[in-house]
Amino acid sequence: MESTQWLLVANAAVWLGIGAYLFLMARAQQNLDRRIRHMEMLGDDK
Amino acid sequence: MQTNRLSPAMPLVGIVAGLALALCQYMIFVYAPVEQTMGIVQKIFYFHMPLAWWSLISFLTVFVASIAFLRTRNWKWDALSGAAAEVGVLFSGLALITGSIWGRHSWGVWWTWDPRLTTTLVMWFVYAGYLVLRTLDLPRERLGTVSAVVGIVAFLDVPLVFLSARLWRSIHPAVFASKGGGLEAEMKTTVIACIVAFGFLWVALTWLRAAQRRMAARIDVLATQTTI
Repeated sequence: MESTQWLLVANAAVWLGIGAYLFLMARAQQNLDRRIRHMEMLGDDK
Repeated sequence: MQTNRLSPAMPLVGIVAGLALALCQYMIFVYAPVEQTMGIVQKIFYFHMPLAWWSLISFLTVFVASIAFLRTRNWKWDALSGAAAEVGVLFSGLALITGSIWGRHSWGVWWTWDPRLTTTLVMWFVYAGYLVLRTLDLPRERLGTVSAVVGIVAFLDVPLVFLSARLWRSIHPAVFASKGGGLEAEMKTTVIACIVAFGFLWVALTWLRAAQRRMAARIDVLATQTTI
């Protein structure tokens, strides 16, 4: 593999890692929003 | 319910981080000159070093926030230490991966048991274990206390990582150990720009994740009260 490709692979690894973490954070936020909606619905029923 | 309110400054930090990282990429691939001995692969250093530095700052944050939590019992410190540990594990993991890619090209091996690499790997496992610990099904108060104590003890390895390349015979370069690190002006500007850019990313990620953790904790408490 050429030197440029090693650099691009390392750069891609960084963005994949950060992207994966952002994806997990977005999933966590969706989960929190769902729990809030669920609690609001329970509150409305009372 | 006000639990999903975020600070208005938070998106701004995210936007600044995005712009700074775009500038950092431009400087790495266009502005910074190609190093004569190692060639273009030396440019891995421009994101490897900021990731490594900010991971150490993450673990310092875990240490300080853990002490603050034990002193005040304020859960915002617990949320901050959890968030900083996550970002630190991410950043140190990426620093290990990028370092390994650089090592495969320059040393011909993916990994060597060098003091800097070994202490960094140990640090990664310690904080990955800390994150696993935080998921244990324990009473909230007890889990907060245990996590804070582990967050303080785990920090013992961090100064070793920082000093390892200076204390022991290491093949890992101790950048900036000598005056200026022997870098050309454009290279120095690029590395400083990348440290700042990754700093903004670190602040954005840690801030947002800490807010998420605070929100989750508050929902847990409300859910428990509703059940009771």
